[in-house]
Formats: sequence, C-alpha cells, structure tokens
Amino acid sequence: MSLTAFIQILLLGLALGGIYALMAIGLSLTFGVMRILNLAHGAFMILAAYLAFWLFVRYRLDPLLSIPFMMGTLFAIGIILYRILFSRLAGRADYTHLTILLTFSLALILEGLMGYLWTGIYRAANPPYAARSYSFGPWYIPAGQLYAALTSLILLSILWLILYRTRFGRAVRATMQNRIAAQIVGVDVNGVSMITFGLGLALAGASGSLLSFLFPFFPSRHWQWIAILLALVVFGGLGSLPGTVMGAFTLAVISAYATTLAGPTWSSALFYLALFLTLLVRPQGLLGKGEAP
Amino acid sequence: MALLRIEAIRAGYGHGPDILNGLSLELEPNRIYCVIGPNGAGKSTLLRVIMGLLRPRAGRVWFNKEDITGLRPDQIVARGISYVPQDRSLFPDMTVWENLLMGGYLMRDPRALSRRVEEILELFPVLRKHRSRRAGLLSGGEQQMLAIGRALILRPALLLLDEPSLGLAPLVVEQVFEIIRQLKAMSLTVLLVEQNVRKGLECADWGYVLDQGCLRFEGPAKAILEEPRLVVTYFGQRRGHP
Amino acid sequence: MGNWATVREHERLESQLSIRTREIRHLVLTGLLAGLLLLPLLQVGNRGLTYFLHVMMMTFMYIAIASSWNIISGYAGYISFAHPVFFALGGYFTGALLVFIKLSPFLTAPIAGLLAALLGFGVGLITLRTRGPSFVIGTIALLLLARLLLDNWTWLGGSNGISLPLPNLPPHLFKLPFYYGLLFAAAGAVGLSYRIRHSRFGLGLRAIAQDEIRAEVAGIPTHVYKVLAFSLSAFFVAVAGALWGYQLSYLRPSAFLTVGMAADPLLMCLIGGRGTVAGPVLGAVIVVALNELMIALLGSTELNLSAIGLIMLLALLFFPGGIIGTLRERGRLPRWLDWD
Repeated sequence: MSLTAFIQILLLGLALGGIYALMAIGLSLTFGVMRILNLAHGAFMILAAYLAFWLFVRYRLDPLLSIPFMMGTLFAIGIILYRILFSRLAGRADYTHLTILLTFSLALILEGLMGYLWTGIYRAANPPYAARSYSFGPWYIPAGQLYAALTSLILLSILWLILYRTRFGRAVRATMQNRIAAQIVGVDVNGVSMITFGLGLALAGASGSLLSFLFPFFPSRHWQWIAILLALVVFGGLGSLPGTVMGAFTLAVISAYATTLAGPTWSSALFYLALFLTLLVRPQGLLGKGEAP
Repeated sequence: MALLRIEAIRAGYGHGPDILNGLSLELEPNRIYCVIGPNGAGKSTLLRVIMGLLRPRAGRVWFNKEDITGLRPDQIVARGISYVPQDRSLFPDMTVWENLLMGGYLMRDPRALSRRVEEILELFPVLRKHRSRRAGLLSGGEQQMLAIGRALILRPALLLLDEPSLGLAPLVVEQVFEIIRQLKAMSLTVLLVEQNVRKGLECADWGYVLDQGCLRFEGPAKAILEEPRLVVTYFGQRRGHP
Repeated sequence: MGNWATVREHERLESQLSIRTREIRHLVLTGLLAGLLLLPLLQVGNRGLTYFLHVMMMTFMYIAIASSWNIISGYAGYISFAHPVFFALGGYFTGALLVFIKLSPFLTAPIAGLLAALLGFGVGLITLRTRGPSFVIGTIALLLLARLLLDNWTWLGGSNGISLPLPNLPPHLFKLPFYYGLLFAAAGAVGLSYRIRHSRFGLGLRAIAQDEIRAEVAGIPTHVYKVLAFSLSAFFVAVAGALWGYQLSYLRPSAFLTVGMAADPLLMCLIGGRGTVAGPVLGAVIVVALNELMIALLGSTELNLSAIGLIMLLALLFFPGGIIGTLRERGRLPRWLDWD
C-alpha cells in the first residue's frame, strides 16, 4: 500500500472515529454515572435519524441544522423516561441487570413502532453535501463525513467544557468516581443522574441526525449499532469517557484499514473481535481502572 | 438544648434483621462523643442513618429542632452535618485540591470557596504539600486527613467520623486524634465511632456503649475508660489497648 | 396446644395426606404425559389435528429453549442474548450433515447439543471472567457475529439459506416424529432444570444471582459455576434447533438469528417466573397461546414487537417475579405449580 493510500485511509478512519465517539459517549456517560447500560441507545439514534430524515424530506431542514432540535427533544424524552422508569428502581442490588432488561424492552417497543410507522425500507437523507467531496493534494474526504466529524468534535468539546468547567460537570464527575462521596458532599445524585440520562439521549439524538445522511438506516439496524458501540465502550474501558473516545478512534481507524483490505462486510466483525480480545486479555479495557466491570 | 436527637431508631439493610433496635440518644453542642461497641453493634449503621444514607424503619432523627428523618444525604449536608465514612470515600481521580473543592460543592461563591480550601490546607500541612496529587495515590493517613479536611469545608455543626484510626499506623493515629481534639476548639460537635477504645475515649467527653443495636451504657468518657469491667464485658479481653 | 398423643396423631394424618397429594401429583403427571404421548395417534386416524399438533410442537420447542435459558439467566442471573446462536448451531450443523452426508438430524441432534455446549463453554470462559455487564455485551456481540458469519457463508446458503430434504412420510403424519422429538427435548430441558435447581450447584448459582461477592467469599467457585451453567444451557437449545430446522425444511439466518428470537425466552421467563422450574414452562405455554391468539385476531405486524416490549416492561416494573414468583410471594402458589 502506498503512503498516499495509507494516509487517505487514516483520514477517513479518523473522521469515522470522531463520529463513533459521539455515538458512544452518551452510552458511556450513562453507564459511568448511574450504571445504566442503555441497550436502547441505538434505537434512539435510529429514531432521531428518522426524525431528521422526515424533517429534511418534508420541510427541507438540513440534518445538521436539525441537531439542536433533536438534542432538545431527546433530552426531554430522557428526563421523562428516567423519572418514570429508572428512578423508582435506584438503589436495588440488581440495578444494572434490571436496566439491561428495561432498556431492551424499550428498544423493542421503539423498533416495533418505527417499523410500523415507516416500514423497513432503507432510508438515507441526501442533502447536497452528501454527494460532494473535498480534496487537498492527493487526498480527499467526503463533505458529509467532514461536516459530521467536525460537528462531533464541536459537540464533544462542549461536553468536555461542561464536565470540566462547570459546577454541574464537577458533580457528574464526582458521581462517576464515587457515588456515596458525591452524596455526602452535597450532590443530589438522583437529580444529576436524571439530567445525565437526558444528556446521554441528547447525544444519541445528535448522532442520529448525523447518521441520517451518513449511513442507510432502517428500524432493526439499531442492533448493529448498539453492538458496535457496546464493543467499543468495553474496549475503551466501561465507565471511562476518555477511554471511549480513544477506543472509538482506535477501532475506527483499524476498521478503515480492514475494510480496505477485506471489504466492508466484515468491518463490524472487527469490533466484536476487539471485544472478545479485550475480555480475554484486559477485561477493564484500555483506560478502565481497578475493578473489571 | 440538644443539637442532635435520635428517637427510638430501628434500622436494617434490605430485608435483613434490625441492626439498630430502638436506639435513642442526644448530643449537646461543642462536645466530642465516642461510640464504642463490638462488631455488628450498629455503630456505622447509626452514622449512616443520621446522614440519610440509610432510611430507618422506625423512629426519628432531630437536628437543631428539625426533623431530618428520611432526608437525602445532600439535604442533610446542607443543614450542617458532615460525614467521614470508614473507607474515606474520596474521589480517587481528583487531586487533593479538587477533593477539597468538592467538599465545598454547596458553596456558590468560588472565591470564598478557594479561601476556605486554603484555610483547610493551613490546618493540614501534609495536604498542602500534596495539593496536586491524585487522591488515589495518597497514603492511608493522608487520605484520612483529606477526608476530614473535606468534611470541614462547609463548617459543619456536627461531624460524623466512622473509625478514623482504621488501618493506620500508631503514629498516624496519634496525628489524627490530635486533629480531632483541635476540632472541639472550632465549636464543632463530633460524633466518633471507634474500635480503638482507648484512643477514642481519651479524646472524647462522653461515651456511648452500643451492643446489638441497643444503648447499653453511657457516661463520661473517662469513667468508661477507667471501668475495666465494661471494656471486658463488651470486648472480651483487653481490646483497644495499644 | 394439646398433649403429645394428639400432636403425633396430627403428624400421622399430615404425612398420610402428603402421601396422598404425592400420589395425586404422580397420577396427574403420568396422565398428562400419557395424554401428550398418545395425542398424535389421533392424527393418524383423524387428520384434522395438524394445526393443533403444530402449536403443541412449537410449545415444546419453546419450553426447551426457555427452560435452558433459565439456567444461566434465571438461576445465575446472567442475561444471555446468545441462545439463538445455539439454536442456529443445532439447525445448521444437523442440516449440513443431512444435506451432505444424508444423516438424519434425529441422530445428529445430540452431537449438535454437545457442540453448542462446547461453544457455550468457550464463550463463557472469556466473557464470564468479570461480574458486570460484559457477559451480556459479549452475548449480543456473539449473536450479531453469528448472523454475519452465516449471512456470508455461501457454502451454507448465505442469507438465502438452504433447503433441507423432507423425511419420507405421508403429509398428515409428517409432524409426528418432530412432535415426539421436541417433546423429549422439552422433557429433557425441564428435567435438567429440575435437577439443577435441587442440587448444590443450583444453590450456588442462585447465590451468585443474589450477591456474587458474598458467594465468592463463601467459597463458591463462581467462575466455574457460571461457565458450566452457560454451557449446560446450550445443549437442549441446539437439539431443539436441529429438530425445528428439519421440520421447517429450510435454514435461513433471518429465521434463526434475530434479536426477536433472543427476546422470546426472556419474555417467557419474565411472564412465567425467572429462576423457577415451572416458570419457563408456564411462560412458554402462555406466550405461544397469546401469540397465536394475537395473530389470529390482529394479524402480524411490526407492532407485535412493540407489544412484546411493552409486556416485558410492565412485567419488569410490576411483577418482577413473574406469575410463579408473584403467586409465591402472596402465598397463593398452588402445589401443582411448585416444582422448586
């Protein structure tokens, strides 16, 4: 492989990594703060993708521009869901297991609804930039991916600012590190959890908007997404946000090379392989610490 | 004029048996209280109930004439009670400085908070030395200092300490208890749970002996120390002696 | 309170009574079994029972799957989404042998079961080393990986699947061997579940489900137990898959490896009662019946999936013990349903 091609693939891989990072960070945040493994995360992404798609097709609203609306809507849904479903179960010993079953049920409900409303036809929004490409020197990058990657970077940076420069962010990080300690210094951990859950869904919403024009989607596609994201999160380290970001970039780049060499069919297999290798060799993942999850 | 009043508290974990069996006691302000008793007597459970980490099955907790039973821990902190758990419960990935900052989470004024953190660092010179060190990397004694320091940021009226000497070398234990003695001068009330009976009662004014969730005996700390029969009854042989 | 003589008399009457209850229970069980065994023979004469036999057969299959799933996900509390993989392994392994070497799945099903147990053992070794959700995530990955593999394995038909030759039987008797085969698979799975529940192994599993750290501290070899449970839970699922595939006479990834199929045992155990012996059986019967009813009345749309999700949600929130668990909590569990 020539150096040019090598760098080209690297570029595409990094762009993809940014997008995967945005998709996975909500999942990681929710688990880290309140030990909820949200198996419906992918389904909410697809739901947002559908919403973005219809907004584009019916009202010509660009998917990138619909992101704020999407995030707001899913944030609200997250808060409501947390109040109704999860807060009543908090504190139970088998909490994580229960949330797995709960979110699984949610995913099924969503998938059925989406299938019923919008059928299983493959959808993809096609705003003008979806077909364009930017080239510089011997390299190119599709406009859609570039914009999506930039959007991810912006949103991830905002998240970083929230987590490290605001009082709320400190409360979130404290809750992630030691829930009891957070309580005894005055953090309302239940309130923090609720808002974080909303935040996690909002990030899924933004990812969905990007997904709508990047990848073709249909209702049952969410399983493939959630499986990849889960594998990625375990690889990076369950409960570690920097780990998730690192895992996203690493696996995306590797998968870009794998796709070039072996075709697109097996690219998701790479994530599953990474998952099993991680569990075999270093169960806490790249940046996970202490107790293996 | 009791600062804290506990009335007939019954408490236990999950579906398990009652750990505290109708316990009642009162704390006056500006004193150091020490609770001693065998393992499983309910000493840590008592502190957890006061702090709102465990909801009692029966009974009430009064603080400054307010019924705080069933409030959340963060609400109780806001009312002036601070807690140092047995495992210190620090934020392992935050530095000493950041841990102390978190102690003042409820303070809205960042500058006042910074000043307060500096004050605490004055009190604990060993912490000042390590202010940028991650809490997870500190030694046992340093962690204990940090945990106490963090609890003091909000200037609580009542400080709950769960076995501060646990796992610490004798010299460090001495340092910790020196700090605790100084706390009294800060118009603080301290409720201390200790396995190290001697050290605990030596710096306390009043002692409570807890066994199987009930109050068996209370009295001036010195008296309990000098009454070897009590110690033997509840601890078998001469426990708690250095 | 009375004196000792009346107490002893009371005890003697009690034990006589329980002997009678046990006799009754044996009679009922034998009668039920005989009925199930003899039922198909009516078909030989009548021919009108085909649909009914089909539903019974499907019920037996689900009983086998749900009872097996219960071993790892009910007793040990580790949710598995991998069971469709064992099911598909059974179907494809025996199907391939049938197509290429003409061996009947009735003979090769047990081998498929052993292979599945081996797969479960291997995957379990990797994913059960930790206590948390890594196992669940691993099973999800396994499911999707298996789907990917089979969709692209052209030798086995890829996503179009392969057809299997039909057994040499007149059409109205066609279902009979499968009926008996799946009945035995179901009986085997329930029997295994029963034996495990009433053993130290089962006690250890349930301790793991309640509080794994405490179980470890108490000396239970949690890693070994978990892996063994996962491995055992695979056997009868693969056997059921072998028979069902043969009965279906075609193998297709989309029929064997969907997440909907992973949800089935979950739904059945949630409704019937996770962690009990009778729960999965009850749940399977109810779900199959309800499903047939729903399809007959409302047809089959994507909303069925939403309905399943909604029922699971409601069961989780309000009846986490399922029917058996809730009845037991309220002290109303009839003796004949209490197999624990």
